[in-house]
Amino acid sequence: MERMPQEKKLEYLLRSSKIVAAGFLGDDPRSPEQIIETDLTALMHLGYTVEQVAERMQELTVLAIPKLGNPVQASGRLQICSEDYKGEIICPWPHPVRLAKRVTTARRLDTAESIRWSDLNIHMIAEHGFFEGIGSAFRVEPAVLVRVIFEDFAGPV
Amino acid sequence: MNISSQLWLAAVTCFAAIFTNNILLMYFLGLCPFTSVSREVKTAFGLGVAVVFVMTCTAMLNWLAFRYILAPLNLEFFRFIMFIIIIAAFVQFVEMVIDRYSPKLYHALGIFLPLITVNCAILGASLFMVIRDYTFIVTVGYGFGSGIGWLLAILAMAGIRQRLAHARIPRGLDGPGITLIIAGLMALAFIGFTGVLG
Amino acid sequence: MGSVALAVMIVSSIAAGLALVLVVADRFIANYGECTITINDERKLNVQGGKNVLSALTEEKLFIPSACGGRGTCGYCKVKATEGAGPILPTETPFLTPEEIEKNVRLSCQIKIRNDLKIEIPEELLAVREFEGVCAEITDLTYDTKLFHFELQDPPTIDFVPGQYIQLLCPKYKGNREEVYRAYSIASDPAENTTLDLVIRRAPNGICTTWCFEYLKAGDAVRFNGPYGEFRLSETDAPMVWVAGGSGMAPFVALLHQMRNENIARSTTYFFGGNKAKDMFFIDLMRQFEKDVPNFRFVPVVVAPDAGEQWDGERGLVTEALEREGGDLSGHEGYLCGSPGMIDASIKGLKQLGMTEERIFYDKFA
Repeated sequence: MERMPQEKKLEYLLRSSKIVAAGFLGDDPRSPEQIIETDLTALMHLGYTVEQVAERMQELTVLAIPKLGNPVQASGRLQICSEDYKGEIICPWPHPVRLAKRVTTARRLDTAESIRWSDLNIHMIAEHGFFEGIGSAFRVEPAVLVRVIFEDFAGPV
Repeated sequence: MNISSQLWLAAVTCFAAIFTNNILLMYFLGLCPFTSVSREVKTAFGLGVAVVFVMTCTAMLNWLAFRYILAPLNLEFFRFIMFIIIIAAFVQFVEMVIDRYSPKLYHALGIFLPLITVNCAILGASLFMVIRDYTFIVTVGYGFGSGIGWLLAILAMAGIRQRLAHARIPRGLDGPGITLIIAGLMALAFIGFTGVLG
Repeated sequence: MGSVALAVMIVSSIAAGLALVLVVADRFIANYGECTITINDERKLNVQGGKNVLSALTEEKLFIPSACGGRGTCGYCKVKATEGAGPILPTETPFLTPEEIEKNVRLSCQIKIRNDLKIEIPEELLAVREFEGVCAEITDLTYDTKLFHFELQDPPTIDFVPGQYIQLLCPKYKGNREEVYRAYSIASDPAENTTLDLVIRRAPNGICTTWCFEYLKAGDAVRFNGPYGEFRLSETDAPMVWVAGGSGMAPFVALLHQMRNENIARSTTYFFGGNKAKDMFFIDLMRQFEKDVPNFRFVPVVVAPDAGEQWDGERGLVTEALEREGGDLSGHEGYLCGSPGMIDASIKGLKQLGMTEERIFYDKFA
């Protein structure tokens, strides 16, 4: 299929390290559109929408911010820690979005499974359905994410 | 034929090109950008406007080239190559001019122009006008109408796809698959216009 | 046979004719010739038209801060364009406030040079230079923070106002295919102007911090430009409250050197926060400043020391330490440096203690 010049530019930008070291795509050979499509489908089969996921991630992040890098209990089984770094990071999509360099880690005390995300991850998931390429340092695996942040998650639908 | 009847014919042809003979939904030309650039209404509109402009202008240019260069020299069979070359040169030229004189327009249309060079609907419109033996005035109406028809179709598709973005679509159909099915349904709907002018 | 050759000839010549038209058009329409950029009505630059203003200025060694490298996504490279910049583009409007549009502020990376231009740049940006130096020493301050000591080579000295920052060039390395600049506050004594200290805390997968921590070694060449920034001591005598966390320590070291050099005796309380005792550094240096700088008090605060750690200082978040300190801060000035979260929390805390927003200073740099 014909690709828009913007799409090619976006892939170039995502693969480059203009914004984050080693880029957003890791060693994933697929195009961003393919990655997005696959992850959105996976999320759908898990029974959640990007809005629900992003909202929950945001909620947990906000909960942890006032603790300035110290762990906080979101519930009996979920521990959140949010740390921020100096500077701002921009969204690779062509619109004026600038976010704090904040990294939030969610850890399940019962299963010891954990996942981390940045504020940029939340934005990219909510706005662009983008979870980053496999092999990227900030790849958010939809299945792991859902298992960790939704305590009532019962399994794929 | 006098001028007023030609103008009337041009208007009818224009209307027909938009609805009953929509170049996209009846002839399925220009499907490639139609499936790949119809994710957002805003970009679809930008591309559509660029298509209207380029299609109208190149239909006119190609009519002149065909009538005054190819036909007298008996080189009608070269029209495919000629038309493509003229379209490409025209798009290049327009891009240069608007970059220089209208940065605003350049930013709105600029990225779409090179994409249009290889859009088969543009070439299709020029070829149809030859096959159907249109006069110059009718060709203008036809080129413009075809462009508007294409714009209308891609806008409708983008609107539908924006609503589909959060719908649950079977895995295998996601993307181009569902788009083509929708295009088929839209084509069926447009067939309803047949006979309006009858 | 002859007719085929003739036909090919004719079509080829038509194509050649069209190509010629394009070449001529390119020569006359797309050629912008040499243009003059007048800066602040004094300096004139002759540049080739067709480029954007930001890259033209960079080539002339004039550094406008930019984080995105001219893609129009960061909105930092603002200049005032008084003449010849053309209409504001849709790519710029999201970054400009109505007042800025009124004052002809534009993004320099989005202005294409089509004719002679007049632009205005803050004077201090004209003083920005590019420096080459050598990384002379790297010292571990904590497990994730290091002190980098640079010796300048060309130019051999740097003049800066304490509180300002520089932009360090992070070169290409494995995993980083492009050069990028990142901002770091200067942590050294302005009187020792042949060297420069930076305090850098490692960020997860940060482009530049990864390079600083894994690739940069003592003896390596470094490049940076600067100084930038408005963060500095005010010219009042108001008592001050400083709040910092992590590498936010850096500008305050420079400020303390300045206060010691210039015998500034403003009452100053410096809250420095960390999560664990192992996050604290420069404690001895601060204790020394307490002796050298009159009315300076250093309050290190640790949230939750680990079981085995020895900590006998204040405990809790810096904001909590602030509240405990209490009192009416309406006559004080606040100086903040650290993570955005800490800055936001501190602003809230200081406001509750009566400080007004105009009296709180911090650098929001990239």
